[in-house]
Amino acid sequence: MTNMEEWQKKHILGIKDFNRQEIETVLSLADSFKEVSEREVKKVPALRGKTIVNLFFEHSTRTRTSFELAAKRLSADVVNFSFSTSSLTKGETIIDTIKNLESYHPDIMIMRIGVGVCLNSFAKHTQASIINAGDGRNEHPTQALLDMFTVKESKGSLENLNVLIVGDIAHSRVARSNIFGFQKFSSKVTVCGPTSLIPYEFEKMGVKVSNDLDKEIPSADIIMMLRIQKERQGAAFFPSLREYINKFGLTPQRLKKAKKDCLVMHPGPVNWDVEISSSLKEEVHPLILKQAENGLAVRMATLYLVGTQKREI
Amino acid sequence: MSNKKEIKKILSKDDIKRTLYRLSHQILEKASSFEEIALVGIQTRGVHLARRIQSIIKEIEGKEVPLGVLDITLYRDDLTVIGPTPIVKETNLAFDLSDKVVILVDDVLYTGRTVRAALNEIMDFGRPKRVEFLVLVDRGFREVPIRADYVGKNIPTSRQEVVEVQLEEKDGKDEVVVTKGND
Amino acid sequence: MKLLIKNATLVNADEISKTNLLIENGKIAEIGKDIQGADKEIDAKGKYVFPGFIDLHTHLRTPGREGDEDILSGSTAAAKGGFTTILCMPNTDPAIDNEGLAKWIRGESQSVGLIDIYPIGAITVGRAGKDLTEFGALKKAGCLALSDDGFTVDNTLVLRRAYEYAKMFDLLVISHCEDSQLSCGGNMRESFVSSKYGIAGIPDIAESLIVSRDIELAKYLDARIHLAHISSAKSLEIIRRAKKEGVRVTAETCPHYFTLTIEDIEREGFPGNFKVNPPLGDKKDIVAIKKALVDGTIDCIATDHAPHSLAEKELPFELAPFGFIGLELAFSLTNNYLVKDKTFSLKDLVNKLSTQPAAIAGLEKCGKIAEGYIADLVIADLEGKWKVEEENLASKSKNTPFLGKELEGVIEHTIKKGKIIYSRLKD
Repeated sequence: MTNMEEWQKKHILGIKDFNRQEIETVLSLADSFKEVSEREVKKVPALRGKTIVNLFFEHSTRTRTSFELAAKRLSADVVNFSFSTSSLTKGETIIDTIKNLESYHPDIMIMRIGVGVCLNSFAKHTQASIINAGDGRNEHPTQALLDMFTVKESKGSLENLNVLIVGDIAHSRVARSNIFGFQKFSSKVTVCGPTSLIPYEFEKMGVKVSNDLDKEIPSADIIMMLRIQKERQGAAFFPSLREYINKFGLTPQRLKKAKKDCLVMHPGPVNWDVEISSSLKEEVHPLILKQAENGLAVRMATLYLVGTQKREI
Repeated sequence: MSNKKEIKKILSKDDIKRTLYRLSHQILEKASSFEEIALVGIQTRGVHLARRIQSIIKEIEGKEVPLGVLDITLYRDDLTVIGPTPIVKETNLAFDLSDKVVILVDDVLYTGRTVRAALNEIMDFGRPKRVEFLVLVDRGFREVPIRADYVGKNIPTSRQEVVEVQLEEKDGKDEVVVTKGND
Repeated sequence: MKLLIKNATLVNADEISKTNLLIENGKIAEIGKDIQGADKEIDAKGKYVFPGFIDLHTHLRTPGREGDEDILSGSTAAAKGGFTTILCMPNTDPAIDNEGLAKWIRGESQSVGLIDIYPIGAITVGRAGKDLTEFGALKKAGCLALSDDGFTVDNTLVLRRAYEYAKMFDLLVISHCEDSQLSCGGNMRESFVSSKYGIAGIPDIAESLIVSRDIELAKYLDARIHLAHISSAKSLEIIRRAKKEGVRVTAETCPHYFTLTIEDIEREGFPGNFKVNPPLGDKKDIVAIKKALVDGTIDCIATDHAPHSLAEKELPFELAPFGFIGLELAFSLTNNYLVKDKTFSLKDLVNKLSTQPAAIAGLEKCGKIAEGYIADLVIADLEGKWKVEEENLASKSKNTPFLGKELEGVIEHTIKKGKIIYSRLKD
């Protein structure tokens, strides 16, 4: 008998809903899909004829392109809809938009939206599977999956690692999804950033909370740097970029104190000389670029899993 | 009511060995040149059989033919019909297909749909000179117009029967049996 | 016409008695075992009779958003919920910050002719927090209180002037307590849940800081103030201390603050129908609010009835507007969650829903069943059950987190000035 995994999820909304085995299924599939992208004919017919809709209410070229290419390499038909953030409360509602799209009988809807915790209610209005490409500050499951895939590729396993996430934790869906993910493999997560950007009672997530990057670096197996948005500076979260970089920027001096086989990761795009010093570009950029490459394979895996599910009639 | 499984042994370990030797000789006999031969095993048991044939050929000729492995899951025609989502295993065709006679290798030929999928996938990798098909057991009941070029053994079966090929590399022993009845 | 209610269990804030009562000319004419000469009778055997409920905090959305609620639908919903008098907040469009609009509201309430609606005038013009409105004219036009509800008067000096000026007219100033800089952008109580899902949170101190400020001011000026929709344990500590010191402060809470928590929002998947301001708290807050209701720190229960259309409440949680309807649910919720678990007696229910609100609003001959008092009454079946469903809500808007819930406590009749304005059987 072949080894079959029972994939039960119709939607992929967040890593908090995944169990360990489901994460492992995605990661092992992603391996095979990586190989497809190395072929001459970078296409397999697995999702031939399926209709996949990119429904983005928040601007994003990279994630959208990654999903689009992933869908196309699986032979699916892709349609892109982009709406500005301001349209969320005006005129036609999101639910109206989704209901209108039902006329295309989409099989999968990939949604990115600037507000969180609403995708589960949208799912009620469509037959399609929904994949979360980022909802507010809540979750970004495919990002965490590609981060875990990248770590597994480099380290061989996800068990018992010390993961250090640095930056604007409060506004980061990438941080949240990764925390849920790595914790399922008994890895320890430390979040490090300005106190004003660490959410209320965040220790209850089971993470260690720190403001001292220099103290945390030596024991980290993975250092995940998060993007800092300049708008945060204006909202009194921290006084200046200069002070932020002083305390939380990854500089060559800091990286010297890290473990030799420590991985430096970043969800991209990198603000060089803010989160990471540009003099480290040659050393750290390759893995960050690999994250993006792995993103395509991981997204193919997620599309394949929800796309090949038996349809209820 | 009997719940017992009826098991009929078709090929023993020695039978399988002899058959593979015979098939390897057949391949060498049919080929216009040694260089054009390439073996591609279909996951999973086809891969083990292809490897064995590769080493038998090496034994006979002193040289190795290139070997590839092919997982046809992503080319199946029944992905949304079968229940659980199957896991995709390795696909690796590290050689240029252009001048090759690609011999697809599998354990059982039944409906022929697996070979159909394998053909589609091979074509996405390149344009071989010719594609042939080698199978250990042909049990009939084709649902697509596919035939094998090299057959280990023809076994007439009924639809209620199951042909099980067990190989040492995967199942711990070499045996081909036909079973009937409740599991 | 003489209306007799017989075999009733009359519940007042201070006593319960099994007796009959006669209504004549809109007043309670006689209470006693043996009453003769009635033209019409209602047999209230097995039922309870309460003085009509009084809501110090309703949003009628008129003028400006009559699609969500208007004077007629609001009056009908109130009657269905046993409310015979309501005070409506001025955060309408335009705001009720002038005597013309206040008079109009009084007039509309009278022409609909169901319940008594008194406007609450805005404290500042346009509720902008800068210039005071004409308190004298507003009182003359029928306002029983003043409030900028929806907003806090951010400028402490302006609030001080408001308290001083209101004293002159003996007008009650009702405070919506929310430090808007602290709460800005927030969508739910700041908590582990809000952190887990990345939802901007409103800390409980956003309320207690302003409660503290307003009480200090009231103490300094010896002003009479009322605090709207108190939701957190921290605020209650401050109010309790202030009352002990003799500060003339009264406070209200709403049924959702003694029934729902942050965990309910998470469990239900963050629907817009669970979003309210001040936001729902945690179990500690519920315990504190129940305690405060019993020991009198909280004087009354108000609904903060806040209608919103389906389209608005269907928006994602972070974008949906704040507010629940409540006129038709307050009585049943109080019965289910406070009386049934013995936190409250029925006398306490009457005290918080009728007697105290009457006293705070300065309504005379109201809030009690006694000879000579206005015949505003509710006849209820405490055993009866009903399911909260869109079809059986009279309000134009159906935004309540209790949709689908079965509640105990059904209102059979609501009587206003001796006239039956709602009967369940006719429904």
